[in-house]
Amino acid sequence: MRDYYPLTAAQKMHHNWIQDYKTQQVSGVSVVASLKAALDFGLLKKCIQLEFERYGCMRLQFTKPDKKGQVKQYVVEKENRDIPIKDLSGMSLSEADRLMQQWAYETFDGDDIPLCDVTMVKLPEGFNGFFIHMDHRLIDSCGLVVMINDLMQLYTHYRFGSEYPKDLADFEMVLERDLKKANNEKRFAKDKKFWDDQLDALGEPLYSDIQGTSVLEKARKRHGDPDLRAADIEMKDLFVKVKDYYLEPEPTKDLIAFCMNHQLSMTNLLLLGIRTYLSKVNDGQEDITIQNFISRRSTHDEWTSGGSRTIMFPCRTVIPAEMEFMAAAYEIQNVQNRIYMHSNYDPALIMEEMRKRYHIPEHTTYESCYLTYQPLPVKMDNPHLANIQQHSKWFANGAATKKMYLTVSHTEHGGMNFSYHYQTAHLQEHDMELLYYYMMRILFKGIAEPDMSIGDIMAQV
Amino acid sequence: MTQEMQFKAIVAQYCEIKPEDMKNEMRFREDLGFSSLDFMSFLGELEDTFEVELEEEEVLQVRTIAEALEMMEKLQQEA
Repeated sequence: MRDYYPLTAAQKMHHNWIQDYKTQQVSGVSVVASLKAALDFGLLKKCIQLEFERYGCMRLQFTKPDKKGQVKQYVVEKENRDIPIKDLSGMSLSEADRLMQQWAYETFDGDDIPLCDVTMVKLPEGFNGFFIHMDHRLIDSCGLVVMINDLMQLYTHYRFGSEYPKDLADFEMVLERDLKKANNEKRFAKDKKFWDDQLDALGEPLYSDIQGTSVLEKARKRHGDPDLRAADIEMKDLFVKVKDYYLEPEPTKDLIAFCMNHQLSMTNLLLLGIRTYLSKVNDGQEDITIQNFISRRSTHDEWTSGGSRTIMFPCRTVIPAEMEFMAAAYEIQNVQNRIYMHSNYDPALIMEEMRKRYHIPEHTTYESCYLTYQPLPVKMDNPHLANIQQHSKWFANGAATKKMYLTVSHTEHGGMNFSYHYQTAHLQEHDMELLYYYMMRILFKGIAEPDMSIGDIMAQV
Repeated sequence: MTQEMQFKAIVAQYCEIKPEDMKNEMRFREDLGFSSLDFMSFLGELEDTFEVELEEEEVLQVRTIAEALEMMEKLQQEA
């Protein structure tokens, strides 16, 4: 007998976006993983099919909404699908990337349907591998990296006789545990109190935009409310472009060393960089909120169960200009640590509480920037593949629910990649150039002179 | 199972070290590799398992297994 479960807070976040923006495209996630080697595609196909058996989240489906609009999730016991192969080897690598980008734009439309597609690909320049296209309600990027590694461990086991990969945690078991935690009344009350206390202490948040104060001013005029503290969200033109900037290994080492020497996490340093830029371009605004994504994977079971565990919470800090860079970094760390402790909470309830308290217009927000720091590279961590060149790439789904979404990741050669996804309806590449340029100036000035005040840093960069 | 072993069994879910190999002077971050998120989610697990209420200010000062065990015992005595 099949079990049906409600959605977790992380799944609801994606589900609500699909409902609000009326397209599943906003929930797509795609990646290609390939090796510069001749692959046995018959064997790879067997391993992909086996992965569908091992990694329960790949078989997850959703019911049709009931009368109240609620959907349930369930895991299909068996998937007997063929795994197609596409030959793109006659193209250039950039042409192949462009084609796969088109695949990433495709949507999964309907209820009670599979939401995971895997295609084996022959790529140019001798690369071979597979392209995965899924719905974010099934998996997050950490889950995808775990899946790719498990799949390649299966392949090297059958191909080279290496050890069979360790068992993965059962998706349904971890899901049940998560739902139980979320329904723990005592915990829920504590989490709610934490978020409510923040609003009691700081009052209504204040919007800050990458493009400065004019955006909030425009929203105030549009809604005829000179005291409005939230700005409009783009609901129609969701097209997004991506601009990547690469930070070289040497300066990356300096950032890492600073974090290690001061027991600071990279996420918090990055949050400080973004919020200082926002403060700088918003007339020194002290109260800044950024949405930060947390990948809620800590235990072995959480790491290996797949599923969509990434969830975003508002990181709100009030930092006066005279506060020193180091103190500001610790202030953010302090706030973030408390958020981690209360990250079982459904962030939709935070927004609901704010709407109830401050009566802001529909489709408005207090945040323009979203951050994901991804310490895990998409790399097949497998001794049998150690000396083989790899080509992996994430593809944007092409429809952003956020004005600017920054993903920071580490590269294979010790550098860092800053990937800015921005809505073209309001932002241009030049806005991203400015943001990256000033973020770097702020961060490197700050780590060089951590006792300098935030105000002085903003003035000097 | 003693409370200490039960405690260490929870710690083991978050790291690569077996409960029997854990030493009380081990630090969560430096020796056991806990991230801030791991540590905070671990504390939530402790609250649920041992039915204690942790004080946020106090838990942020905890560095080692010994300090965490001591804090737990104190909280249980107070309850």
